[in-house]
Amino acid sequence: MNIAASLRLPRAPLSRRERAGYAFILPCVLFTTVFFLVPLAMTLWMSFNHWPLLGKPSFAGLANYLDLLQDESFWGALWFTTRYTLVVTPAIFLLAFALALLVHRAVRFVGIFRTAFFLPVVIGMATASLLWWWMFNDQVGIFSAVLMDLGLVDEPVQWLAETNSALASIVVMVLWKAAGFTMVILLVGMQAIPQDLYEAARMDGARWIQQTRYITIPMMRRTFALALTMSVIGSYLAFEQFFVLTKGGPMNSTISVVHWIYRASFTYFKLGYGAAMSVVLLLILLVLSVIQMYLLRDDND
Amino acid sequence: MKHPNWLRKTLCGLGLAFASHAALADDISFWARAADAGFVEPLVKAWNAGHPNKVSLTIIPGDDFVTKLGTSIAGGSPPDVVAIDLIFVPAFAEAGQLTEIGSEAKALPYYKSLSASHLRLAESGGKQYAVPFSAEGSVLLYNKKLFKQAGLDPEKPPQTLAEIEAAAKKISALGKGVKGFSFSGACGGCNIFTLTPYVWAAGGDVLSPDGKKETLDNPALKNVLATYRRMWEAGYMPSAAKTDNGANFINTFLTGKVGMVGSGAFSIGLLKKDHPEIDFGLTYLPGSKAGQWSSFAGGDSIAIPAGSKRKKDAWEFISWCLSEEVQVEQFAKNGSIPVREDLANNAYSKLDNRFVIASTAMAKGKTPYTTHFNQLFNDPNGPWLAMLQEAIFGKGVDPAIKDAKARFTKVLSQ
Repeated sequence: MNIAASLRLPRAPLSRRERAGYAFILPCVLFTTVFFLVPLAMTLWMSFNHWPLLGKPSFAGLANYLDLLQDESFWGALWFTTRYTLVVTPAIFLLAFALALLVHRAVRFVGIFRTAFFLPVVIGMATASLLWWWMFNDQVGIFSAVLMDLGLVDEPVQWLAETNSALASIVVMVLWKAAGFTMVILLVGMQAIPQDLYEAARMDGARWIQQTRYITIPMMRRTFALALTMSVIGSYLAFEQFFVLTKGGPMNSTISVVHWIYRASFTYFKLGYGAAMSVVLLLILLVLSVIQMYLLRDDND
Repeated sequence: MKHPNWLRKTLCGLGLAFASHAALADDISFWARAADAGFVEPLVKAWNAGHPNKVSLTIIPGDDFVTKLGTSIAGGSPPDVVAIDLIFVPAFAEAGQLTEIGSEAKALPYYKSLSASHLRLAESGGKQYAVPFSAEGSVLLYNKKLFKQAGLDPEKPPQTLAEIEAAAKKISALGKGVKGFSFSGACGGCNIFTLTPYVWAAGGDVLSPDGKKETLDNPALKNVLATYRRMWEAGYMPSAAKTDNGANFINTFLTGKVGMVGSGAFSIGLLKKDHPEIDFGLTYLPGSKAGQWSSFAGGDSIAIPAGSKRKKDAWEFISWCLSEEVQVEQFAKNGSIPVREDLANNAYSKLDNRFVIASTAMAKGKTPYTTHFNQLFNDPNGPWLAMLQEAIFGKGVDPAIKDAKARFTKVLSQ
């Protein structure tokens, strides 16, 4: 029992062990402060100002937030991003789960497959988008060329020129790019399940599908929650793929929220307004994450 | 409310770190956009070879230019000299981001022959904030070989928009992937450059002269959009026209499979140097009657950003850029148009009549004056491009103009 604490005596000087502990977390605290807390505070402050890129800022109070309420374009972009998230998140999740099931056993060559599935993750999103932009290109791209060589189409397909095919093209690209990351998260969760559960199940005659249904999935609720939350956040913050592949087109049909924030800030030069949008997006993500964590919580949590 | 200076500096410093690392402390720092690299790099080399105070050049991607420059000025460490697309000068001048250089400029002996459009856009509130640096005029390029094959006279390019459409029809009839006309259907900036001159030539406009109101509901614009739409629907344009965001602005013409394309003077030098196999002609962008024509007078202006600590050196470099030696031996010799009308007929332009056409087009051309140029015309999600796409590929001309009127007004009222 800690007598000092129970008697509310002045706290003793830090022990050597405690000091070492603080020293270890210090870099992390500094890093978080400089690169997260300070920018966050600055963004908050900017959002209460008219802050033009050219010229002097002036205090605006809640004006940016009131403008935001009436900005149909922002809510339109938010709705588009929500639909994109609703399509992309389950697709990535299912694909990643399937891939994780495929590569989770230590069989021959499994390392090669794990690497292959994970490899797109290490490429930057902008780089990957450029790569796919080339493949989707109707003049020099490989997809149209293959379809034409096979005689399936007569002229180049304009993947990015029609609203639906543009969105579908981006979804395909993002699946390729992001499924590997979710796969690794799920794989870690899968490998943490005690093997004796499976052995016991096999003794009882459970087949693979039953083992998956009654052991793997229930044991992975926390991992699922983590993977889904990260995927939803990632989708809401989507920017590079839209910026590079469609620039928000055709006819403004693929403008994501972050793209809209970028546009307000650097096309319209309204940094304060962009900051207000960022704050609103942050709050939305916060709420969504809390809801997801709550729904997918373990009974032990 | 006053803001602490350190806050702005910290904020801007991060962005700036990348842009300004190349400049040495005691050099005159000079920023130019990537599109100008071809003639700016030799220019700076020539200056540095003959002057003790060196200029250090930073080339910045065109899309980031306004942002980078804006943040650098806000952060208190701007370059000493900047060559900036002339259409952005009003916005920077109005926001007090440039140094006034009226008295220096007016003392130049050739001040009166400097490009009028550049000077007009460099003015704000009766003061002058920039001088012309490079000139660019829009013209119609046409492929003489395809004209001949289609039974058209290669020495008589189209005189009206209707003649362009008729020629496009004949050229497209050649088949084998040959198309009569092309344009960059997903690029706002390309089309303010090559499409509005048809409208101006026929007596219409998209903005009022003071740039404060839209004037989209006019027969000239409707006719141009309807003509483009007919040419698209009839298949006189390559399918890539719809999606090109400017990356292939000139490339379709370079394949030799496109009859006509609106372009700029810059393409003359490019075609002559890299594609001698293409026999091309140049003509003005016409209106609806023969003899009507117009051009977008574009290019760069050169200015001293507010906060530059080397104003005197900067001006020395700027005035050197305008000297005959530079305008003729650096610019004209390498296929650009001089920004001084008194030098339009120089030893190099005389060698190729196409340069004279481009110079004339530039000198008599128009440039919209608006502090909202980026939002209206260059923004890929802005009202101008939305109108073009809806009018040419989408709902049709009238609904597109109706939507655009409201969206233009909204931007202009900000």
